[in-house]
Amino acid sequence: MIAEDGFALQCIDVEKSFGSLTALNGLNLEVLPGERVALLGPNGAGKTTLVRAICGRVRLDKGSIRLFNAPAGSSKALQHLGVVPQELALYGDLTARENLLIFSRLHGLRRREAIRRVNEVLEWIGLTDRANDLVKNFSGGMKRRVNLACGVLHHPPLILLDEPTVGVDPQSRERIFLMLDELSKQGAAIILTTHHLDEAEKQSDRIVIVDHGRVIAEGTLADLIEQTVGTRRQLVMQIYKNNFFASFYTGASESNPLSRVESEVLPGFQYQTSTGGWIKEIDDVAQELPPLLEQLRQRGLVVADLEIRNPNLHHVFLHLTGKELRE
Amino acid sequence: MIWLIVRISALRLWHNKAELVLTFVVPLVFFSIFALIFGSRERSGETATIKVAVSDMIKNADSQKIIEELQANGTLRFVDADSQVLKDGELKLLDPKVCERLVREGGASVAIVLEESKKEKENQESTLSAKLLTDSSDQVAPKIVSALVQQLLVQKSVAALAKNAQPVPPPNSPALPASAIPADSSAKSPIAFTLPEVKTIDLVGGQKKNPIIAMYASGIAVMFLLFSVVGGGGALLEEKENSTLERLLASQLTLDELLMGKWLYLMLLGTLQTTLMFVWGEVVFGVELSKHWEGFLMMTLVTSAAASSLSLFLATMCNSRAQLNWVSVVLVLGMSALGGSMVPRYLMSERIREVGLLTFNAWALDGYNKIFWRNLPLQSLWPQLAVLLMIGLIFMIAARIGARRWERV
Repeated sequence: MIAEDGFALQCIDVEKSFGSLTALNGLNLEVLPGERVALLGPNGAGKTTLVRAICGRVRLDKGSIRLFNAPAGSSKALQHLGVVPQELALYGDLTARENLLIFSRLHGLRRREAIRRVNEVLEWIGLTDRANDLVKNFSGGMKRRVNLACGVLHHPPLILLDEPTVGVDPQSRERIFLMLDELSKQGAAIILTTHHLDEAEKQSDRIVIVDHGRVIAEGTLADLIEQTVGTRRQLVMQIYKNNFFASFYTGASESNPLSRVESEVLPGFQYQTSTGGWIKEIDDVAQELPPLLEQLRQRGLVVADLEIRNPNLHHVFLHLTGKELRE
Repeated sequence: MIWLIVRISALRLWHNKAELVLTFVVPLVFFSIFALIFGSRERSGETATIKVAVSDMIKNADSQKIIEELQANGTLRFVDADSQVLKDGELKLLDPKVCERLVREGGASVAIVLEESKKEKENQESTLSAKLLTDSSDQVAPKIVSALVQQLLVQKSVAALAKNAQPVPPPNSPALPASAIPADSSAKSPIAFTLPEVKTIDLVGGQKKNPIIAMYASGIAVMFLLFSVVGGGGALLEEKENSTLERLLASQLTLDELLMGKWLYLMLLGTLQTTLMFVWGEVVFGVELSKHWEGFLMMTLVTSAAASSLSLFLATMCNSRAQLNWVSVVLVLGMSALGGSMVPRYLMSERIREVGLLTFNAWALDGYNKIFWRNLPLQSLWPQLAVLLMIGLIFMIAARIGARRWERV
C-alpha cells in the first residue's frame, strides 16, 4: 500500500489556532510506509491537535495532511488509518467480542470477514477465553489490549497510537510492545505518541520532538544527541567525607554547608540528594576531567567514585524543551 | 468530625451546579407551573371556559330567553357548526345532529338541546326540558352546564306557575318537590308542577369499558415516552465523554449516520415502550388497543419520532450528561404539566391551554384521544400528525446544526 509519492503520512506547513492559542504552527512531518515514529513533546506542545488533525477531525487554517496521498478525513484516508486513542474508547457495557465486532464493521469489514477477523484478534490479544465478558469488568491491561485491537482490526497500513500503555502493569506493557512489533513486521507504519522516553527509544526508528506547534528536532537517538547535547557528558562523583569536608558542617557560620561546598570547594557542581553524589556537566571529558581531578586532590578532597553518564533521550528532551512546567 | 462530613457534602453540592439546580430551582419552577395552572383563574377572575353547542327545538319566547341567559354567562362559549367560538352576543342555533357530531369530535364539551318534555296526560301543559349531550373526558363541564340549565329551567317553570296560579304563593314557601305533586292533579287547581327535566347523555364515554383509563393511558404514556427518549439522548453525550465519539468519527461512520442511527434507535425504543404500555392497558384495564391499532401506531410512531428529535437536539445543546439530566427533567415535567399529561387541560384557564399547545404533549394527547376516546376516523388525525412531524423535523435540523461542534473543529 505505497502511495505514488511514497509517504504513509505527509504533513505540510500545518497551521491551526484556537482563538489566540496557536496549536500547530507550520508543522512538517513525513512518515514512510512501515516506519516507526515516536512523537514526543511536553504537554500543550500540539501533539493532541496533530493526532486529531491526522484523523481528519481538525479544520486546518493552513497547510495540508495527506495519508497515502488521500486528504486527511476522507473516506480513503480513514480506510488506511487505525487509531488507538489514549482514553479507553470502548463500550464498557458490551463484551470484548461485541466491541471488536462493532468497530470492525465501522471500519468497513463485511460481516463474515469481521467475525473471522474478531476471532483472530481475540487470539492475538490473548482474550479468547474472556471474549464474552463485559469490558468494564476487565483489568486495565486487558482493556488497553482491546483498545489497541479495536484500532487495528481492519489491517490499516498506518497506525496512530496515543500513549497506548498509560496505566498498565509491566507485563501488559510488554505484551502491547510485542503486538506493536508484530504490526510493524506486517508492514504497518506506526506513529506512537508517548511521555515514556524509554518507550520512544525502544519502539521507534525515528524520534520526532514537537514543541510550540512545530517539529523542533527529529532523527534517531544518536542524531538527536549529536544535534543537541553533542559531546557534553554528565559527571557524577562521590566524595569521601574526610575531616576537611566535615569542617564545613561544624563551623559557626549560619550559611548552608552544602552551598558553601558548592561555592568554595566544588564550583560548578550540584549536590544530588537522591544519589548523594556531586554532578557537573562537562563539554569534553578527555580534556576537562584530568585537571579537574587534580584540582580536587590539591584541595584535600578524596574522590570515592566517579561516573560519566552518556546522554539519553531524557537529556535531549529537556535540552530542547526546557525544565519549565508547561501547565 | 460530624460537621466536617456536613461541610464535605455541602461543598460537593456547591460545586455540582446541575444538582444544585435540581435541588433548589426545579421545585420552584414546578411550584410556579402548578400555581399558574390552578391559581391563574382566581387571580385574573378568569374561569375555565366551556365550549357549548346549542340547539333549540322549541323556538318560543321562553327558550329564547333561556338561551340569552346562557349567552350572558361568562363561563360558556358558544360554538358554530365548525366548532369555532362565536363572538359575544352572536348566536348560531344548530341542528341536534350537528350538536352530537361536535361533542363526539371534541368541538364542544357539551351540547344543550332545548326541547319540550313529553306530556304524560292530555290535559297537562307541555313544559321546557333540556337534553345535555356530553363528553365525559371533561368531568367538570357537564356538571356546570347541567346546574346552569337546571337553574334557568326551574326559574322559567316557577315563573310560569306563578303566572297561572291564584293566589300567588307566599315568597318564602319552599319549592315543591316533584313527589309532592299528586299524579292526577289538574292543570288549574290544584297547581300542576313538574320539575323540568335535564337529561344528560354521555355520548363518548358511555360505551367505554373503562373510560378513565382510556383517557389517562395516553397522558401517562406520552410523559414516560418523553422521559425515556430524552434521557436516551444522553447516550450521545456519553459517547463524547468516554471518547468513543472520537473513535466512531475516525472510522468510516459520518456524523449524519451517527445522528440518524441514534434517532432511529430512540424512536423504535419509544414506540416499543408505548406499545408495551398500551398492550398492558388492554390486557389488564380494557384499553381498546386492538380495535384502534392503526391510529395508535400512526400516533405512536410520529410522537416517538418527534420526541427522539427533541432528545437529540437537547443532547447536542448540552455539554454534559448532568446538564442534560436537569434540562430534561425541567422540560419533560414542564411540558407534561402544561400539555395535559398530569392535569387534564379542561381544568386549565384558556390562556394556559393556549400555552399548552406549545408542548407536544398536548398535540399527542389530542391525537390519542381522537383514537381511543372519540373513535374518530384516521383522517381526523392529520392536524396532530402534521404538527408533530413538523416539530420532529425542526428539532432534527436544529440537532444537526448543534452537532456541528462535534464535527471538525
